Amino acid sequence: MNAIEIRNLSKKFGSKTAVNNLSMTVPAGAIYGFIGENGSGKSTTEKMICGLLHPNGGSMKLYGRDYTDPDVRAKVGVLIEAPGCFPNMSVWSNLMLQADNLGIKHSRQEIVKVLKTVRMEGAASNKFKNCSLGMKQRIGIAMALLGNPALLILDEPINGLDADGMRIMREVLVDITKNYGSTVLISSHILGELEKIATHYGIIRKGRMLCEMTAEELAASCRTYIALQTGDKNKTKLLLGSRYSRVEEDESGCIRVYDAAESEEVVTFLYQNGITVSEIWRDKIALEEYYIDLMHEKEGRSL
Amino acid sequence: MRQTQKIEFPSRSFEKRLTSMVKVDARRMFTTPLFYVMLGIALAIPILILVMTSMVGGIEVTDPNTGAAQTMEAFTNTWQIIRQTSGADSMMSMDMTAMCNINLMYFMAGVFVCIFVSEDFRSGYAKNLFTVRAGKNDYVVSKTLTGFFAGALFLLAFFIGSILGGSFAGLSFDLGTAGIDGLVMCMLAKIFLMAVFASIFLVMSVVAKQRTWLSIFLSLFAGMLLFLMIPMMTPLDSGVMNVFLCLAGGVIFAAGIGVISNAILRKTSLV
Repeated sequence: MNAIEIRNLSKKFGSKTAVNNLSMTVPAGAIYGFIGENGSGKSTTEKMICGLLHPNGGSMKLYGRDYTDPDVRAKVGVLIEAPGCFPNMSVWSNLMLQADNLGIKHSRQEIVKVLKTVRMEGAASNKFKNCSLGMKQRIGIAMALLGNPALLILDEPINGLDADGMRIMREVLVDITKNYGSTVLISSHILGELEKIATHYGIIRKGRMLCEMTAEELAASCRTYIALQTGDKNKTKLLLGSRYSRVEEDESGCIRVYDAAESEEVVTFLYQNGITVSEIWRDKIALEEYYIDLMHEKEGRSL
Repeated sequence: MRQTQKIEFPSRSFEKRLTSMVKVDARRMFTTPLFYVMLGIALAIPILILVMTSMVGGIEVTDPNTGAAQTMEAFTNTWQIIRQTSGADSMMSMDMTAMCNINLMYFMAGVFVCIFVSEDFRSGYAKNLFTVRAGKNDYVVSKTLTGFFAGALFLLAFFIGSILGGSFAGLSFDLGTAGIDGLVMCMLAKIFLMAVFASIFLVMSVVAKQRTWLSIFLSLFAGMLLFLMIPMMTPLDSGVMNVFLCLAGGVIFAAGIGVISNAILRKTSLV
């Protein structure tokens, strides 16, 4: 069964089309990384799934039911933009309100459980307004986790966090995906973090879905390359460029050869031409690079 | 290994959803300092008005157009701050009782409802709420009940403040022909009439959403249109008919306007 099934979804704000005939399928149990640049329509799509914005066209189903079905919507947890908490109330009181909203019977135990999941056990009595950004995001996730949601929608939960906040958030997300069993739709700009947890991806651009794929499909379509380091980069590039069709130098100064079959072959070739290889390894491009390449490719086509 | 949860979607009846929503709103109302501040103001206003006006013996005002001096008579009876008896020709008169009376509490309730509802949208709480609650009925009913209840408490606080103020100022408590029954009926009628105002304030608040200033402006404007009807509907010598009419009007208006609020929430963006 699919947790989310969207067909030809559209949303306009005045004359501006935010989401354009978007179709999307999130299988139940998936951790779906929803990727796109700023203003690509990720948040608008998520808000429509949550019933906060009304689509101009298309259909949306959650677990096979219409997205407006109150029973299915009661099992959706959401963190969109900022957590919806009252600033002057304590963390505990805010969570208590949401627990009451959901009609949770053993609300105290449930709140203790979600606070533990987001590493916030000691901050229950803090006023929400006094919490740091990272803490607020985690409180938002705790709130979304109340009632053990079947579907969890997290919009940019890592954005704006410092390194430590990001580390804690990563641990929290890994915990959630392991222990809650919810289907997770997560959007983020920090693709490196997303890559560690996502099982499925959807890439959106200008309100349209560019492609959807599983993590395995992404791994297969991410090209492998041979990375190496030598003493004379310019000469190495020239030499390799004469033999292989795509040779590049990355930001860290390594030289990448994309179409070489074996690393021994590259080492031998360079050695025969008087260059000693100090380091060589096989790697594949990360999600972020794949995404950037895909964007450039589409940009090129649209020009 | 990732565990996938077994998915069940238990149905929750409207009663259960409404009960939990009312519980949430009651919890919020009784934990927000604004409510107690307004309740304190409702209690203090009649005390201040009755004590201060009885000390100065009325206020002299000058008509800006004619330059003629006019004296706004001070209160001589405590219950004038609740309202004069029906038939008295004072609805449009330039006296203190026509301007400073218990009916101000309808506006105070308006301000409270607007701040209370707009806070839902400003804090982002509405996102959490409407994500898990596809139906908007429970929200509308619960907020109308909360507004009605808060307004009723403001009226009662004002009533208590009036008794205290009258005592401090040494004013008469003579009810004349109205009698204690009339006073009780008058208060009941005013309380039931609050349902009409609460529903109007709610519809304005859901139109304005997070723009508190706009919701207050719209509510006060709409409230002003009905404001002059209050003394006619709820005179000090109210009878059972007044109470019944206010109750029926309150229920009908709350239901009718609630449908409009519901439609606005269903048809417009909630963020």
